Formats: sequence, structure tokens, C-alpha cells
Amino acid sequence: MTGRMTGLAWRSLRHRATASVATFVAVLLGTALMGSFAALAASASGPVSTADHDTLTTMGTVVGAWGAIIVLSAVVSTVGITVTQREVEIGLLRTVGATPGQASRLVRAETLLVAALGSALGAGLAWLGGAALLTLLRNTGTVADSVPYSPGLAPLATAALVVLVSLLGSGFAARRATRGSASITPSEGRPGTGRLPWWRVAAAVALFGYSAAMAVVTITVTAHDDDPYSAMATSGQLGILVAVGLGCLAPWLLRVLSPATRPALGRGAAGYLAAYNARRRSRLLSGVLAPVIVLTASGISVFMIVGTDDRTRPAGFEDDARTINLLNNVVVGMMVVFAAVVVVNTFAAVVAHRRSELRQLWLLGATPHQVEASVLAEARGVAAIGVVLGALASLVAVIPFGVARHEGVVPDGQLWLPPLVMAAAAALTLLAARSAVRRAHLPAGSLQ
Amino acid sequence: MNSTTTSHPTGAVLEVRDLARTYGEGAGAVTALDGVDLAFAPGTFTAVMGPSGSGKSTFLSCAAGLEPPTAGRVLVDGHDITDWDENDRTRLRRERIGFVFQAFHLMPYLTAEQNVGLPLRLAGRRPDRARVRELLERVGLADRGGHLPGSLSGGQQQRVAIARALVTEPAVVLADEPTGALDSGTARGILTLLRDSVDALDQTIVMVTHDPVAASYADTVVFLVDGRVAGRMDRPTADAVAGQLAHLSDLVVGGAR
Repeated sequence: MTGRMTGLAWRSLRHRATASVATFVAVLLGTALMGSFAALAASASGPVSTADHDTLTTMGTVVGAWGAIIVLSAVVSTVGITVTQREVEIGLLRTVGATPGQASRLVRAETLLVAALGSALGAGLAWLGGAALLTLLRNTGTVADSVPYSPGLAPLATAALVVLVSLLGSGFAARRATRGSASITPSEGRPGTGRLPWWRVAAAVALFGYSAAMAVVTITVTAHDDDPYSAMATSGQLGILVAVGLGCLAPWLLRVLSPATRPALGRGAAGYLAAYNARRRSRLLSGVLAPVIVLTASGISVFMIVGTDDRTRPAGFEDDARTINLLNNVVVGMMVVFAAVVVVNTFAAVVAHRRSELRQLWLLGATPHQVEASVLAEARGVAAIGVVLGALASLVAVIPFGVARHEGVVPDGQLWLPPLVMAAAAALTLLAARSAVRRAHLPAGSLQ
Repeated sequence: MNSTTTSHPTGAVLEVRDLARTYGEGAGAVTALDGVDLAFAPGTFTAVMGPSGSGKSTFLSCAAGLEPPTAGRVLVDGHDITDWDENDRTRLRRERIGFVFQAFHLMPYLTAEQNVGLPLRLAGRRPDRARVRELLERVGLADRGGHLPGSLSGGQQQRVAIARALVTEPAVVLADEPTGALDSGTARGILTLLRDSVDALDQTIVMVTHDPVAASYADTVVFLVDGRVAGRMDRPTADAVAGQLAHLSDLVVGGAR
């Protein structure tokens, strides 16, 4: 990376604070979340008993691994949004003589600066987070009090991995943005740009395939295992994995499903604008849809499974239950916080990106209230699609586990929980949209 | 809406009286407009010209009710809108003023037809399809109604924007450097279109420009320098306008008004 590109990247970053902050926060929290569990797994290699070794390894690797999928896909998605937003500017750079390679180096240099800063601080948080997790495990008697905290290089290794994945994500997005001839016309609205990139489809197919297979395994194999937690091990994470798979398809899903949300958008001009924006520019809003799906799915599936486990646990497994459900609650708590931050984050980036367009609406005669209402209507559409898809995704975990524990397809209790989680996720989405549009300080008088 | 209808003896559809606009306060204050009196009669095409910083854009913003003037009055279609609040000014703007911008300002996610109908949608009305089609035909885009802006050329986008400006049958169309982003050949087509809507539809147009060729399509050119009206020319030609622009500083010194 040349020094000149880094200098240009640094100046460019200061010009788009909101988008940079979105990437920074996603990387920071992502590293902190993943790194905490990695630090826990690293502690297993210290002088500890076999039982403690197993507990720490399970927590660190199994939980850390599917947490990693969420974190990494969120980072890739956030980085992708910030790059896609800059298509016009990248086109401009190329028309004044930047080669595709130079333009994409600029993008990668920017990502590197933000991601390195975010993940370095995130590694610090992960070091503290790992210690806090271990203290929690000691205090609840899950592991022996004598287990020492030895994170080693795990937080730093996590930070390096997150930076690497961020660079990969921005590389993908930059390649898309610099493909073809130099042009300052945004590709949105150009025909033929609505197709999903192959890697999104491939990732979704892999996640759906794996989840379907594990759901079958849960019902046919692990359900009959002597250890009642084998079924949970094969089904617990499926809701989240399917949700991430749906997140990969989010641009397409939003385009296909948004007509169905038309009644929820309202009949006025704001609803009209929101409907077409969601359908024709689904790539922009899909960055918000994906975390809403994951948030809803992880909330519903994990809480429902813990509930089923409480009702159907055979006697003699109380100790296991305490560890596992503590784990479940900690993980789902962290996931929910992370997904919630990504929703807020992404909305802020999307609205900031659309500032000039929303101003144009005002110039054309939309009242400030109509401008705000159109963004809120979009949020309603995204929330509606997101919570429904998230709830459906959670079924892939809840049903197999329920069948395995002989509750059948419909769990015997806590049926109030899914609507509650859905309502909370929808409320969060709407609040995020409202705060983003208020902070963007829309219309200010004058033509320029 | 506090529709203070004043009798306007001039019969103007747009009028500014002693318009002033100052940015900032104290020693650093910048005066963009300094006592401008202008009235635009129905069915006229006026070009407002001047060097950079002469107050052209500020004039347009104030005349459209986008920003409030520091002093003076703005009358649109007989309504004194100077003291109206943002919502009332917005409503008047979308009903009575059509806008054509240098950068087109089409919504990228709406088709040409939908963009043309947008001002009516914002006003809570359902656009009449036949009317929208007729306007697109008038600007020469009858077969492009279903296209998104991204698949239209710059000239075609500006044509859509002109159709959009005309859809509400506004009292006045305000154009801000409408050919500034176009090559000269495409620009001529756009200017001819504006001229036609004055001649054929009796539309009133006020166009801010710095291009003498563009100004030559107007009935009258008004020159602004340092926030003041510095001259006026009827039946302008490009050469005469260019010559006049070159002497603008003399006009200021001479105090043209």
C-alpha cells in the first residue's frame, strides 16, 4: 500500500464520518465479542482439570464459532454498504485517471485504517470480556475457582482475523464498484444490477443445506442420544445460521417481499416513496434487514429452546443445565446487543448517504414531515419483513428440538415469547430510523 | 394557510420588493442580496445573469420561499409568502412553483413517469396518467416513461425534470442553470423546450444562468452584480449579453438604477 494512497484515504475518511463510524463500531464490538470467547478457549490450555478444559473449550469454540459467523457477516455487510455508497465518487476518481487498481486500493486503505483502529480497541475489550466471562463461570461454579485466566494471544489473533475479513469484504465490494468502464453514473437504477453476487448465494445455500441436515440429524439421531444435550448441540444454533443465510439473500428478499408490505407503509406520498425505494434500491436497505432477521431469530430460537429444556430436562442433568443455559443466555444477550448496534449503525449510515436525495425531495415540495415519514415508512417495511423472516428462521431450531424432547412441533409453553421478541426488534428498527433521520438535520433553506 | 391575497397592480406572478439577504453577523457578514426589486409578468421568459457571487442563486432561493429574506417581501401568485412558516411555504411551492435544477434532481428509484407525477403525489393528489403521458410526449420522451433515471442520458433526465416542473401547471417555473451540466447541443434542445412552454403554454419562466447563449432564449435579461440589479436587456442576443456582462463593473459604478 503506497503512502500516497494512505494519505488520500485518511483525508477521505474524515469526509464521511458516519460511514466510517459504522464500520468502526461493527469492527470494535465484533472483535470484542469474538475475542472474549477466544480468550476463554485459550484459557483451557492452562493448568486446568479435564472437565474444566472441556467446558471452556466448548464455550469458547462452539459458541465462539457461530458467534463468529454473525460478527464476520455483519462486518462484511457494513463495509460493503460504505463502499457501495461511494460508487459515484469512485467513478469520479476513475474518470480523472485512477486505475481500477488504484481506486480499490484507496477503498482497502480506508478499510484498513478504520478496521485496524477498531479491532485494536476491540482486542482490549475482548481481554476484559474474557476475564469477565471466566469470573462469571467461576462464580456460578461452572468451572473451578482455581482456573487461571490466560488469554494469550487470542484477542490479538481475533483482531487480526477481523481486520483480514474486513479487507476481504471491502475487496469484494471495491471490485464490484470498479468493474466496467469509468462512469460517474450510480449503478443503482441502471438495468441489470439487481443480481445477487455469487458468493452471497453460495453462502446462503451452504447455510441452509447445513441447517436442514442438522435439523434432520436432531430428530433422527441426537434425539435418541443418552445425553439430552446432544439434541441441543445439533439444533441450538440452526435458527441463527438460517437467519444469517437469509441475511445473505437480503437484497433479493427485500425486493421480492416489499410489495407485500405496501399496506403497512401508508397511503400517502411517504408510503409511495418508501415502497419504490425499498423495491428498486433494495441493496441499500438490505443492510438493515439482515441484522433485524438475525436479531429476531437468535432471540426467539435461543429463549424458546432454553424454555423447552427447562420443561423437559430429565432428572440428573441440573449441573449441565446450569452451565449450558447460562451460556445460552450470555451468548444470546451479546448477540442481541451486537445485532441491535448493527441495526442502529446501518440506519445512520444509510440515512447519511441519502441526505442529498432527501433534501432534493424537500426542494421538490415535500414537507420536512413527509421526508421523515418516508424514511420511517421504509423502516416499517424492513421491520415487518425482518421480524417475520426471523421468526420463520427460528422455527428451524425450535421445531427439531421440540420434537427431540417430545413436545412436538408446537412447544408446550412460552408461546408469548416470539411475539414479544418480534415487537421488540420492530420497535428497535423504528427507533433507529427515527434517530437517524432526526440527526441528519434534513432540510435547511437554500438551493445549494 | 394564511393566504393574504394582495391586489397586485403589476399583474406579476412573481414579485420581490426591496429584497435583501445577509449571511452571518457583524464584521464577517456577507450581503448576498441588497435591495432587489423585480416583477415577472405572466407568459414571460426572463434570464437572471451575473458573475459568480452576484446573488443569483440566493435570489432564486428567496423567490421560491426556500430561504427567508433578511428584509423585503416576496409575492408568489399574489400571495405575500414572506412571513409564512415552512409548511405553508412548502405547500405553496409545490402547487404554484415548478423547479428545474442544474443537477436534474430526479429520484433514482422512480421511473420517468413517476418522477413527473411526484409533485402531485407530494400534494396528496393522484397524478392523471394521461396528463403525465402528454407532458412526456411534449418533452419528446413518450417512449421512455417506464425508464429509471439511471438509464436516461443527461439531456433526457433534464427533459423529465421539465415535464415534472410543468405538471402542476405552476404560476412560475424557476430554473437554476438548467443547462449547466449539459453539452451545448443538448443544451439547445432544453432551451428550445423552455422557450416553447412559454410560447405554447403561456408559462412564466425565470432562469438563472451565466451562459449568454442560454440567456438569448429569454425575452428579457436582468443583470445582477453584488446583490443589486445592474441592468436589463430586452430581446437579448448572445453577443449583446456577452458584451454587457463584460461591462458589468462599469454599470455598478455608474449605478444603473
